Amino acid sequence: MEIDWITVSAQVVNFLILVWLLKRFLYQPVIRAMDRREQKIRNRMDEANSREQEAINEKQSYQQKLASFEQEREDLLEETRQEARQTRSQMLDQAREETARVRSHWMREVSEEKTAFIDGLRHQSLDVVETVIRKALQDLADERLEERIAHTFVRQLHALDDTTRETMGRSAEPATIATSFELDPAQRSTLTRAVHELVGAELTVNYTRAPELICGIELTCESQRISWNLSDYLEELTASIEKAFEPLETTGPGA
Amino acid sequence: MTISPDSIVYWQWGGFTLNATIVFTWLVMALLTLGSWLVTRRLSEGPELSRWQNLLEVLVVGIRDQIAQVSHQQPGPYLPFVGTLFLFIAVANLLNVIPGYMAPTGSLSTTTALAICVFVAVPVFGIASKGAGQYLQHYIKPTPLMLPFNVIGEISRTVALAVRLYGNIMSGTVIVAILLSLTPYFFPVVMQLLGLLTGMIQAYIFAILAMVYIASATSVQERDEPDEQQQTPRSEH
Repeated sequence: MEIDWITVSAQVVNFLILVWLLKRFLYQPVIRAMDRREQKIRNRMDEANSREQEAINEKQSYQQKLASFEQEREDLLEETRQEARQTRSQMLDQAREETARVRSHWMREVSEEKTAFIDGLRHQSLDVVETVIRKALQDLADERLEERIAHTFVRQLHALDDTTRETMGRSAEPATIATSFELDPAQRSTLTRAVHELVGAELTVNYTRAPELICGIELTCESQRISWNLSDYLEELTASIEKAFEPLETTGPGA
Repeated sequence: MTISPDSIVYWQWGGFTLNATIVFTWLVMALLTLGSWLVTRRLSEGPELSRWQNLLEVLVVGIRDQIAQVSHQQPGPYLPFVGTLFLFIAVANLLNVIPGYMAPTGSLSTTTALAICVFVAVPVFGIASKGAGQYLQHYIKPTPLMLPFNVIGEISRTVALAVRLYGNIMSGTVIVAILLSLTPYFFPVVMQLLGLLTGMIQAYIFAILAMVYIASATSVQERDEPDEQQQTPRSEH
């Protein structure tokens, strides 16, 4: 148990030197290295965090964009649907109008055709009837019939009302008697006499032929006309036939 | 039988004797410095570490954590002093397994020198931390009557530091020496292993006690926030 004080002082110096040496070569470098490493790790962590944040932001923005795209798409679809509906209804309306137009056109054509047909039918039937009657009457016409006609005409002159009679009697122009057949002189004098007696004594009477008066006789004087012929009957027949066809014209196919 | 390496004198010049204590101290110093230098001249700051750097980092971090745990203060200012105490004593003791080596810590001169260093370091750190007036006040607390006892306590604990380390290491060496003469071959090896354990424990005790003394001198006003300091022991160097 002896203490060598020289050794003690040497050891104190040695220890202090060792403290300095280790501080210089051990503690400081090692701690600095560790701190720098920690700093680096912290930096990397910060960087990673910032990148993560960035990525999250990016993701959110993309999600928002996606959502807006979706919304836009939905809107567009809705718009398109609306348009389609509109177009459809428009086209339907157009089609309806077109159909109605075509239909009315067709109806008009049909009715025109029908009218034309009926007209044709009427004229034709009238023509036929007239021809038949004309033929029959022409075949039948003989002196006796002509006499009967003249007789009937005289009866008509008897049945004249006073106004007509006076108007015709005062006429300065000659009266004209047209017949569809040739009158013999006896008949002519009978007729002239009847005219003088019944209408006016001063009237001059001329005679003409008028084949269009089927089996008829006609007195024309001062725009007054007295006649008996089959044309009048035929006209009456025509009128009645037209009357018979009228319901057909008014009741169209659409009715 | 040689008890103290002080008595082995290699060279003498005037009043200065170059004895085994100093020589082996130099050896330990050279070993520590060279080892540190070899490793720390190529330090990696990235995630890839060499094994030696890893070892040194574990050592330094371990010492720092111990200091922070004991003192409840930032370990930065105390690390070189306390860490060197631990490393020097530990290496000096561990090398005991080498035949022909004599631990400088087995010399009362060395342990006294280290204890004196602690004895001086305590007021130095205390004054640096709190200022001279406040530091000196703690000698007359709780009453001025305690002044002599405080002074005696200061000295006696220093002596205890020196003698404890010296006694342990010296006794280990002596026991092995005695056992070698009584039961050679096997039993001394076991005792040698025990000596390694004892050497490590003594290094730890010496450094921790030094830290406790320093902490008691510096940490009076800093005791209020120990938790906060404990949570961030590595943020300062």
